Amino acid sequence: MFLINCPYCGERDQSEFKAGGEAHIERPKQPTELSDDEWAEYLFMRKNIKGIQFERWNHAHGCRKWFNMIRDTSNDEIKLIYKMGEKPPKG
Amino acid sequence: MSQNLRVKSSNFIDETSRISFKFNGKTYYGFKGDTLASALLANDIHLVGRSFKYHRPRGIMTSGSEEPNAIVQVGNDKAITEPNVRATEVEIYNGLEAKSQNCWPSVNFDIGGINNFLSPLLPAGFYYKTFMWPASFWEKYEIAIRHSAGLGRSPTKPDTDIYEHRYIHCDVLVIGAGISGIMAAKTATKNNLNTLLLDEKNELGGMTIYQNSEKFKIDNKISSEWLNDEIEELNKLDNLEIKTRTSVAAYHGYNYLLARENLTDHLSKDEKENKVRQRLLKIRAKKVIVATGSLERPLVFNNNDRPGIMLSSAVKKYADYYGVICGKNNIFFTNNDTAYESAISLLKKGINVHCIIDIRENSNSSIVKEAQDLGLKIYWSHTIVDTHGYKRLKQISIMELSKDGQSFANSNKIVLDCDCLGMSGGWTPAVHLFTQSGGKLKFREKDQVFIPNKYQSEQVSIGSCNGDFELDEIIKNSSDILKDFLKIEKTGFDNINVETSKETSKKNIWLLPSDKIVGKTKPFVDYQNDATAKDIKLALREGFRSIEHVKRYTTTGMGTDQGKLGNMHALGIIADTTGVKMGEVGTTTFRPPYTPLTFGTIVGRNVGEYFDIFRRTPMNDWHINNNAEFENVGQWKRAWYYPRGNETMYEAVQRESKATRESAGILDASTLGKIDIQGSDASEFLNRVYTNAWSKLGIGKCRYGLMLNEDGMVYDDGVTTRLGENHYIMTTTTGGAANVMGKLEDYLQTEWPELDVYLTSVTDHFATATIGGPNSKKILNKLIPDLDLSDENFPHMSFKEEKIGKINCRIMRISFTGELSYEINIQASYGKSLWEQCMDAGKEFNITPYGTETMHLLRAEKGFIIVGQDTDGTMTPIDLQMDWVVSKKKYDFIGKRSLYRSDTMREDRKQMVGLLTNDPNTVLEEGAQIISELNQTPVKMLGHVTSSYFSPNLGKSIALAVVKGGKNMMGKKLFIPMEDKTINVTVVDPIFLDKENKKLNA
Amino acid sequence: MLNYTSPIKEVKKYSGLTVSEISPLMKLNLRGKSRDFLTTIGQNINIILPLEANTSASSENYTAIWLSPDEWMLVSNRTVNKENNDYEIEKLLFNKISKTNLGSVTDVTDQLVMINLSGEKIFDLLSTGSPFNFNDFRFKKGSSTQTLLAQIDVIIHHNQINSVNLFVRRSFSEHLMSWINDSASRL
Repeated sequence: MFLINCPYCGERDQSEFKAGGEAHIERPKQPTELSDDEWAEYLFMRKNIKGIQFERWNHAHGCRKWFNMIRDTSNDEIKLIYKMGEKPPKG
Repeated sequence: MSQNLRVKSSNFIDETSRISFKFNGKTYYGFKGDTLASALLANDIHLVGRSFKYHRPRGIMTSGSEEPNAIVQVGNDKAITEPNVRATEVEIYNGLEAKSQNCWPSVNFDIGGINNFLSPLLPAGFYYKTFMWPASFWEKYEIAIRHSAGLGRSPTKPDTDIYEHRYIHCDVLVIGAGISGIMAAKTATKNNLNTLLLDEKNELGGMTIYQNSEKFKIDNKISSEWLNDEIEELNKLDNLEIKTRTSVAAYHGYNYLLARENLTDHLSKDEKENKVRQRLLKIRAKKVIVATGSLERPLVFNNNDRPGIMLSSAVKKYADYYGVICGKNNIFFTNNDTAYESAISLLKKGINVHCIIDIRENSNSSIVKEAQDLGLKIYWSHTIVDTHGYKRLKQISIMELSKDGQSFANSNKIVLDCDCLGMSGGWTPAVHLFTQSGGKLKFREKDQVFIPNKYQSEQVSIGSCNGDFELDEIIKNSSDILKDFLKIEKTGFDNINVETSKETSKKNIWLLPSDKIVGKTKPFVDYQNDATAKDIKLALREGFRSIEHVKRYTTTGMGTDQGKLGNMHALGIIADTTGVKMGEVGTTTFRPPYTPLTFGTIVGRNVGEYFDIFRRTPMNDWHINNNAEFENVGQWKRAWYYPRGNETMYEAVQRESKATRESAGILDASTLGKIDIQGSDASEFLNRVYTNAWSKLGIGKCRYGLMLNEDGMVYDDGVTTRLGENHYIMTTTTGGAANVMGKLEDYLQTEWPELDVYLTSVTDHFATATIGGPNSKKILNKLIPDLDLSDENFPHMSFKEEKIGKINCRIMRISFTGELSYEINIQASYGKSLWEQCMDAGKEFNITPYGTETMHLLRAEKGFIIVGQDTDGTMTPIDLQMDWVVSKKKYDFIGKRSLYRSDTMREDRKQMVGLLTNDPNTVLEEGAQIISELNQTPVKMLGHVTSSYFSPNLGKSIALAVVKGGKNMMGKKLFIPMEDKTINVTVVDPIFLDKENKKLNA
Repeated sequence: MLNYTSPIKEVKKYSGLTVSEISPLMKLNLRGKSRDFLTTIGQNINIILPLEANTSASSENYTAIWLSPDEWMLVSNRTVNKENNDYEIEKLLFNKISKTNLGSVTDVTDQLVMINLSGEKIFDLLSTGSPFNFNDFRFKKGSSTQTLLAQIDVIIHHNQINSVNLFVRRSFSEHLMSWINDSASRL
């Protein structure tokens, strides 16, 4: 059970949160101009890494805000939490 | 009761309080403070169980939670009897009843004991090898195997005990209240840290609390006296919570731990009454100090499992702590100094110790000298090669070891009489919790132990679980580690004078040699699962290399004790046999729980009415008072139908739906999700989330909307009303409400943060009564006489804000049944009263309350879908023949692009159609499969029935179904094969009733 | 005339804990991000919406509880009339905020039921069903949180010493009350 530092509410138990899959997959602005393959890339293709993974989380039973998390899936260590709209650190 | 097996002078047993208990049906006596194990030993009972595979007689080996043999069934009540309980952990109370397990008809005469003599036929992997052929026989084998397998008996009735959960947040959690745990708790508390100290035993102090030897002194006091003083001081501290009888079961990431607090298992039946039996503590600690101590290792030699063979520390604890003599003629067998402490302790109590057999060449430590001074005979460089006695140890045979320890110096064999053998193979740090948390171990060659190396979270291990075994090291190193971990200058234990006997020589042989060939011996490694060194060697010969594979093949370490005693020996034997270093063999994974947990503890209060959450509408009491049957819709309890007299559900639904179409019906629709939408971009937002256009919807008008996922599949639907220029109220399906709200917030926060839109859930704020049917207008008119209900003033798909009396309400003229229908939304606290007034007003029109089942029937007659019943996440609006609700003009909406993917445009997708049975009285089963060819193999499955009812209004059976290419099959004959017959159906338009919508304006 | 019905019928007393519903209380959900939104609210109801997470602010008549960076709940400190449900303050704020597109004002009076817990065992009760860490919360009057209790979403407001208000969705309130009563009976 993680202890997650909600960027708005502070440290909370994982049971207050919902995971929302891979982060930084932006919805295409002009979907109708995409080919089937390009749209499928957005729609279906997700990484499942052993190691550093960028994820979206929602404080569903708290402030209901979404945020980003960088997590090492090999040992569940949360490396960084940052707000929606903020860019992930380089490197 | 054999009084001569008790020695006086135990501080921990109350000899004035005699307790009677039953074991295998016979009554015995013990004292308050006894465990079942100590009380049995005091009654000279060693034989308490049979082993799992060979049914060998087994006795009590240990004095703690690591016990592999003495596992018993406690209680004979069908509801609360508990199997696999360690006799060493059961505190006795008046009325306790316990039974041996895994034996029939009795522990003394067990028919399964024949397996012991068949053991050459039962090697490792026996089941895998034997029951393979012929494959068709497996089912028969399985019955026989299951009959003979299993430990103990499960309760057969629901558990009547009460269990609870509790969350605890602390600065520091200390696990284990031995000497280092006590030091840690005191240090943390004195530094103003909110501290929790847990110990699985009923008393604090661990092993030191009964250490009476003059050889071990702290601050010039005998170690137990010193520790006692420390504990007394500890009990006076605020900011410290101490929980005994509390065993940590699991150590998860982020310092989240689960512990079982045992509250009443030591109490008699009357004392337990109405109390919580066990509590699962869910602990979140900022820092964790692991002080779980260490477990004494047995020695692996031929026939090392007979009743009477025990760990040397257990023999000592029974004598020093419980005042119980385990044998009248004791021998110790050791590779280290521990057994000497035990032997001296017995000698000083006047108990006979015949000799010590030590595999080491010699030792000159002070404790060994003390033993020698007391006249104890020591056989240096000797090992036990065999033991004798079936149900109780009688004799041992010893031989002198060769220099390399793998064979013998000569062929002389000495046979010694004894009824109790205390063995010590050294100590294994209890690193289970540490590794559960993700910590990595390292192997220490010196004394062949795995000790904590890399920590994953804010934690530290101290004391013997960290590999410190000598008293002076424990105190000094614990103090140093605590200073560093808690970032403090001093602990108060920094400069304490410690006297101890230092161990001077070590020797370890994982598998001691026997004068017989290995194949003819039984050196047990895992006592509970009867895995011997021979089995491990066989597994290696057969090609198993990974410790994880050897474990599973031989079942070593897979019993209820999880191999707490034998795992190290298994590793050692593998390392020795394969020539690989032990550190490289690695360990098996330690998994939670450390000791078994009852299901009751895991479940806590989530049983009975608290098993799942229920939600109720404001009208709930009325439904109950009017005989409603309820159905679960998500978490909601919804009125399903209202049977009158002896009506069946079918009859009730037929009556309710007929009455609604003919005059008036009323439905509690309060469960529909309702979202208040405000903001200057509200219309644009709806354009993006729904498939149809919203900008031109007039204020005061309602519109049906269909919401897709990005993959183009139908997600939710409902009617949204424009309350003002930038103000809407959206309704969602009952089950989808929370998810829709979440999804919309997700888009607003992450994809479209530029939109000025705010969402607020108001599902529970409103109670909703829907009156429908040709007379609904008259009923509403009685409720609000001033409201002009003409089609001009209040047309279909429009909304009015009105007052009933002084209470504001919102009325939508919308319909899910195809009838003229009004949905009245009112603040929830007035909902029940509103419903009652509707019933009063509708009385003259036979207003009939109907539930979800009738609602489903009525909408099916109109071909309206229910998301989740007629759709399953694979249906597009086109599949549903709902092209009319998909805007062609809008540039984008959620899921639009997916509607043009090659896959979603396939002609042969499953599409929604209506089905009519040839025999109008035959009602199809929902979920039934649909085919077009009889006698085809393999038969082509075209789809399935999604909704099916007998329509009283049409006088025939109707159904909705999804069928491959169904859109182009109008009029086609298809078949529904059932178990006993085939039903002929015809594909029709899914709208069965009033296609022209005349009823809406009737 | 429509009658008012409350989902919770009685006050329950346990050792160290009293559980009661307080109703009707007017409740508004306020959402907005701009400075104008905050000042307009402040000017009209004489309360500065708290910007610090997990806190609240009170005036003579109202308490504003922080829910998220752009969301607050405004609760009347005293019960309101059951005879009608026209709330002056709602109309005022709706006109000043919603109609001017500064944010949103939504009546949630009956969306949430307020259960008051009082006595020295409040936090013992909460610890049997909530993963939230109340160690600091319990010593700070005015602190608030949204979390789970018995797996149900709740807003918890520490309104005074030995007293907290629990806000729960009305449809869940009977279940939560039943759970509270069960748990409290063993305190």
